[in-house]
Amino acid sequence: MTIGLTHYLVVAAVLFCGGLFTMMTKRNAVGILIGVELVLTSSILNFVAFDRYLGKGRVDGQITGLFIIVLAAAEAAIAVAICINVYKNLSTVDVDRATRLQG
Amino acid sequence: MNGHSYELALAAGVLSPLFSFWALVFLGPRMGKPIAGWFGVILGMGVPLAMAAYVLLGWLGLDAAARAQLTVNAIRLHWAYLGSVPVTIGVKLDSLTVAMFFMVTFIAFWIFFFSVGYMAGHSDEVDHQSKYHRFFAYLSLFGFSMLGLVVSSSLLFLFIFWELVGLCSYLLIGFYFDRQYATRAAMKAFITNRVGDFGFIIGLMLVYFHLHTLDLDEAARNFAAQHASGTGIFANTFALFGFALPTLMGIGLFCGAMGKSAQFPLHVWLPDAMAGPTPVSALIHAATMVAAGVYLVARVFRLMTPDALMFISTIGCLTLFLMALIAIVQTDIKKCLAYSTLSQLGYMIFGLGCGAWIAALFHLITHAFFKAMLFLGSGQVIEGCHHEQDMRKMGGLIKKMPVTGITFLIGVLAIAGFGIPGTSIGLGGFFSKDEILAVAYARAFQWDDVKKFESSHERGGEEHHSTENTPQQNGELNDPKSKVRMAKIESGEQFRLVSDEPPHKAAAASPETTEPEHSAHRMASIFAGTKPLPSWMFWLAIATAYITPFYMMRAWWMTFMGKPRDEHVHHHAHESSLMFIPLIVLAGGTLVSSYFLFRPLIADASAVASAAPMVLATDGAVHTQAISAAHHWLEYGVGFAFAIGFIFAIAIYARGLEIARRIQNLFFVWPVHALLVHKYYIDEIYDLVWVKGCLLVANICRFFDTWIVDLVFDTLAAGTERLAAFSGLVLDNHGVDGVVNGVASTSMDVSDVLRGPQTGRIRNYVLFAAGAATMIIVLLLWVGVRSATAVTP
Amino acid sequence: MKSEERRLKIEMGTVHMVCPSRSSPFALRSCFSVGALFLSFASTAFASAGTAIDRGVMTAAPAGKLEWLLFNLVAGGVVASVIGVCVSRNIVRMAVWLFICLGSVAMLYFMLAANFLGAIQLIVYAGGTLVLLIFGVMLTSKSPWVRWEAPLVEMIAAGVVCVTLLVSLWAVLLRTTWSGLESVSPGASLATIGEKLINVYLVPFEVAGVLLMIVMVGAAHLARQEE
Repeated sequence: MTIGLTHYLVVAAVLFCGGLFTMMTKRNAVGILIGVELVLTSSILNFVAFDRYLGKGRVDGQITGLFIIVLAAAEAAIAVAICINVYKNLSTVDVDRATRLQG
Repeated sequence: MNGHSYELALAAGVLSPLFSFWALVFLGPRMGKPIAGWFGVILGMGVPLAMAAYVLLGWLGLDAAARAQLTVNAIRLHWAYLGSVPVTIGVKLDSLTVAMFFMVTFIAFWIFFFSVGYMAGHSDEVDHQSKYHRFFAYLSLFGFSMLGLVVSSSLLFLFIFWELVGLCSYLLIGFYFDRQYATRAAMKAFITNRVGDFGFIIGLMLVYFHLHTLDLDEAARNFAAQHASGTGIFANTFALFGFALPTLMGIGLFCGAMGKSAQFPLHVWLPDAMAGPTPVSALIHAATMVAAGVYLVARVFRLMTPDALMFISTIGCLTLFLMALIAIVQTDIKKCLAYSTLSQLGYMIFGLGCGAWIAALFHLITHAFFKAMLFLGSGQVIEGCHHEQDMRKMGGLIKKMPVTGITFLIGVLAIAGFGIPGTSIGLGGFFSKDEILAVAYARAFQWDDVKKFESSHERGGEEHHSTENTPQQNGELNDPKSKVRMAKIESGEQFRLVSDEPPHKAAAASPETTEPEHSAHRMASIFAGTKPLPSWMFWLAIATAYITPFYMMRAWWMTFMGKPRDEHVHHHAHESSLMFIPLIVLAGGTLVSSYFLFRPLIADASAVASAAPMVLATDGAVHTQAISAAHHWLEYGVGFAFAIGFIFAIAIYARGLEIARRIQNLFFVWPVHALLVHKYYIDEIYDLVWVKGCLLVANICRFFDTWIVDLVFDTLAAGTERLAAFSGLVLDNHGVDGVVNGVASTSMDVSDVLRGPQTGRIRNYVLFAAGAATMIIVLLLWVGVRSATAVTP
Repeated sequence: MKSEERRLKIEMGTVHMVCPSRSSPFALRSCFSVGALFLSFASTAFASAGTAIDRGVMTAAPAGKLEWLLFNLVAGGVVASVIGVCVSRNIVRMAVWLFICLGSVAMLYFMLAANFLGAIQLIVYAGGTLVLLIFGVMLTSKSPWVRWEAPLVEMIAAGVVCVTLLVSLWAVLLRTTWSGLESVSPGASLATIGEKLINVYLVPFEVAGVLLMIVMVGAAHLARQEE
């Protein structure tokens, strides 16, 4: 009943697949963003788990996780700004209706 | 003496202008015209002045031991850590600070006061907003920065306030920012100061890197310790232009002073800075800001090596002589004063370089008084003459503005060094300049005596005293009897006051450093550069002492005496009543001449300076024998200088400008005159070297770009064009088109098929990508399972 | 769901922020508050537990059953909330589930002795980013309860792909043996992380700073009021 690396990786896989599913099925731009966040979280979890079990005391995995969080925050900020902009232009955040750039 | 009340008072005095600044920034427009000004006067300088007076009075009542105790006990807060080195924040409480603080606040207060009336007519509106309150906001910010600079205990904070002072000078010089010459002058001042500050930063880095601290006292202690043991910065063999690293550190720090105090190669900004309002000229460019440079050198004096001091005295000497010459030919009343300021700053720097620490600072303070008054007087004249600054159009104004004329004359007498030799009667400039010259003389001509004394001195002392303000010594200094005698004795001589003691005992009591034997060889190498002062420096300084009265009297005579040369100007001239209060007060200050107040204070503080380990031959007990002899005949020489200069000036200008015009047209004078009028063409040289140089490099690059790079590409392009034409005719039409058409029709068909999945929806693409990845993983897994089963039996 | 709206006129009068009305579902609020309470208690407990493990105070118990129990609890929370995100149709509910999910993951970090990262996850992710998302929802939706769903076919395809992917990943994980598993590295102190950040990772650290600044400017620019 020891909890090992694999356990965490499985949880991360669940997170990843859940995020993927969310991205694939939501039409709301913010919903897609939520999916992306899930995927990013799963990658951080992977990094941290590997760092704990294979890292030999180096904290590289944790630091990478830190950078991913920074990246995610930045990405969320930009994405929300884009959403607001899209909403201003199209009065909706339904990605299916944001087709102005489509040929 | 109650704890830290003096420090707190000084800190409150520093912060009050800051509060005034913010209040004026936000509430200024609502306060309206006179109220914003009075607000600035009271909070911006009135409170600091009150604090300064409180501290000064308390300080004068203390005996030396108590002062030293206060200096040592001063609070140091740890503001931040650079690595493991704490950056401290605190008030440097010693006699120099108290004297400077009082001087700055006192002069600035009266200039603020003057501005209330003066700026009412000079702050024109920009964008329907009066700039009146803005002026006082800037002045308050300036007060904050300057006072902060004075009280800073750490080089880092000194530097921060230093930069703030630079910013304020930029804002105030460019106050009339809708006039192009003002913005240009502001820019010039700022950039020139940056050049100096670059050196300052290098110096700071060296201090931090080698002395491991930015605290003034601690840096000096570490410097002395490293010097004694030959470690640290003294173990470094790096040299540049033949200067060792400790010297470079000193020169770097001095570079900052060169920028701010406008020393010779970097002096160009100060005359242009007269573009600001006249109170600004008085406050910043005469009395206080330019003093910051001198103050800095005085503060870091303990980090200076003899080589660095020689550098400093050379620069100061060049400045004082060259600028005095320019002042002779100036016709703009403010510029004439500006060049005289430059020359006097040169005196101070020269004095510091010679080791006349006390004399230089004393000169700084006396000069601040009379120069502020002169500038305010010139402001009064300019105001009265309807913004006419050309002295050639003035003349005979003494009848129209008697108060201004007389106070101006007092300033002229003071700067010329008026005094009666052999007595203690005289104005401030008389004593301070005389002292500087006496030290210079001793260093130039009595070097052997100095050396002799030094060697006997070295035998006398065994202990290395790095502590400053040893109570015993301060006790001697503060002895009321000694004050009177000190008035007659040169700066370095205070130790002679105890002449009934044997000389070696006096030396042992002084904080002078004596070197442990094991570092003797190092001493030899460091002091290899220690030489007597070149005699030409002394002669230049003496010559300038004769020139100064001449040009000052010239300016006064041209402005106030003689016949009116421009009827229009003369007709309108008037004197406004409120504004001459500051003039009279400052004239009083000049007359009573701070001598009895500031001279002992600075002499007290000089204990700090004479603790400088490297400056064996320059200050302290060393000159004792040498100077006393030189002093007397110098006193007469300088004492009569003003008379000779005045006589020449009056002889030439008494009957209008005719004689002067004839002189300047003499065949051997006019090239010199042209050189002086054009300020040695330094601005032109800078323009040629830096501005034109940049343009030249840019032009070379452009030439390379247009003629070489473009040519290559043009040739390539033409060749490609030919090739394309050929291939288009032959290959394209016949060969390629057929293929392309075939491909096109095929891809049409294919794209019809492929268009289905191309929905343009991101989620579908994600689906495809994930599906593909999944398939690959499944595939690999399958292969893996198969191979694994194949391998395992 | 009723889309009663109350418009709050924000300064300048152009951006209308739409808040859920008084009749906003009770469940939502309770979801938030219960979730927040749960997270705060649990994260405190986990953080102290993690610290205790690192200090060697609690070596015996967590290595055995307690750790197993905790892991299953938290991992169950993660899985449940992920499923919640996937199946929610309502965007606000999705955000709430995401909140719970990120918080539970933070607890996993605590269990992995990555205390600092867990704290950051709670502060930046579950705090900042989520608030941002909710603002995004509020600002961009006339009614927060709008549902747009993909066509059923796509839903099924996505489900198939994701489940396949999950199963195959699981299979890969089960079949992998990791070398070097015998030593579990102890939790890193904040000082170690900080030191590493400004030594080894100095350049990425600086770049991240620059990135954040660009993002700040960019976001402000994108979302600014049209003149």
